Amino acid sequence: MNLEDDLRAALRREPAPPDFTAKVMRRTRVVSIWHRPVTLAIAAAIAAVAILPPAYEYRQHQRALEAKDQLIAALSITQTQLQHTKQKLLQNTRHRQ
Amino acid sequence: MAVDFAQAVADNQSLVFSFALRFLRNREGAEELAQDVFLQLFKNLRQIETPAHATWWLRRAICHRCIDESRKRKLRPEVHLDAVPEPSTGASESDPFLNERLRALIGDLPENARTVVILRYQEDLDPTEISKLLDMPISTVKSHLHRSLTTLRSRLQKQEICR
Repeated sequence: MNLEDDLRAALRREPAPPDFTAKVMRRTRVVSIWHRPVTLAIAAAIAAVAILPPAYEYRQHQRALEAKDQLIAALSITQTQLQHTKQKLLQNTRHRQ
Repeated sequence: MAVDFAQAVADNQSLVFSFALRFLRNREGAEELAQDVFLQLFKNLRQIETPAHATWWLRRAICHRCIDESRKRKLRPEVHLDAVPEPSTGASESDPFLNERLRALIGDLPENARTVVILRYQEDLDPTEISKLLDMPISTVKSHLHRSLTTLRSRLQKQEICR
């Protein structure tokens, strides 16, 4: 035989494993489930339920932090003003004495 | 739907599995890749018009997937015991040891040349059909075939001398 005939013999098609079709069909069922509109809607709803409450909680937490920063800033200004007023009162008292 | 998917699997599983097996020389990898290609067909079934179109589509898909997989994994040809066929008991005149040596030598060819050789000698496609299937100039297909045959012949002769 020549090389080309030998190659044809060596590369003769081989049958797929006996459970090949069953495995492919099983995998297509999984794909089908994920392509159904009802499945996609349920997945979207689950994702929304999973994502929205933590997002809301995070926003609330951010607002609380902002409020805390504002309060600290206001208290700091008030403290400075009070010290300034106290110094003026002490100076006036000394002048009178 | 013009093509019945189950029928397409039944008609083409040997083609797709054998191509992947000869290309990757790894039975598990070949089976997984062949399943992936059928799954790809399932997702694109609306584009498939006839059973012949399905065969053409699968041939093209398995060629590209095998080349990608081979490059991605840098998969070296592995000879598993179950990849070596049982010696036949007279039903065929071909020499099982020569067949295995040839398959190993084909596995060592560069990806594009290996694809062309498998399409030519497993699928019995002529250079024009291979050229269309792979979007490759016909001169390149012929060149791959010519060079591959020369390489295989010389490597076989070297092995004969060494034995």
